Amino acid sequence: MLLPGALTLAAGCVAGYVYTADPNVAGTWYPPCPFLTLTGLWCPGCGSARALHALLHLDLGTALARNPLAVVVYGYVLVAFLAWTRRRVTGAPRRLAAPWVTRTVLVGVVLFWILRNLPGMTWLSPA
Amino acid sequence: MSYGSPPPPPPPPGGGAPNPGDQPEWGQQPHQPQGGQPYGSQPPPPAYGAAPGYGAATSTPPSNNLVLAILSTVLCCIPIGIYAILQANKVNTLWAQGDQAGAHKAAADAKKWSIIAIVSGFVVGVVYFIFSFMVAASGTSTR
Repeated sequence: MLLPGALTLAAGCVAGYVYTADPNVAGTWYPPCPFLTLTGLWCPGCGSARALHALLHLDLGTALARNPLAVVVYGYVLVAFLAWTRRRVTGAPRRLAAPWVTRTVLVGVVLFWILRNLPGMTWLSPA
Repeated sequence: MSYGSPPPPPPPPGGGAPNPGDQPEWGQQPHQPQGGQPYGSQPPPPAYGAAPGYGAATSTPPSNNLVLAILSTVLCCIPIGIYAILQANKVNTLWAQGDQAGAHKAAADAKKWSIIAIVSGFVVGVVYFIFSFMVAASGTSTR
């Protein structure tokens, strides 16, 4: 239980920081997106800090508006973390998802990346 | 690409894989004599015959490290995380095709590239932090 505990602690620290330091405000420190800085285009993760901030303040609408993929990912990571912890405790064997599932994830992320940069699709980007 | 081949490997429940749960360590399986392949239905990975008895203990699939790959893509803002997701996807595909060694290789790659993405994102963040701190300290700009 050491590793799950440490990860929970780390995630709690990050959540605490993001909860208090509003990424929408200039002057709070967040790492810039190198891809956005270099290309001027949104990467799949742009807006994920703002989305997390909104989520932690229970504002699902704003979170989805900043980065809908990030909202899905946060949920998925939480579920995966719980499943992983359970496997560690019970010793249940890991099962891999069917290949089409992971292929869908891959295609979905790439599509999301492209779409949120297209005109008229700003609802997918923080713009 | 056709993934039509019947997906054999998911381990039979309680199939006696000696290590419970996680990551089967590569080198550590007890060396089994050639003939002892408990899961006879699995086609032996063709090109990787080097490790006899390998198929037995690795019937627990490797972690595809998909969570790490996705997190590196979404949180580190480094699109090379996409490559990590690609590798993670390969883990599931190769495993379903019975290529266990290939799946392990892809899993390691997924992990490696996720970590590269995370570390680069972290380095960029730190460099940016130092840079913005210096700019602020020199008084030319305040945010």
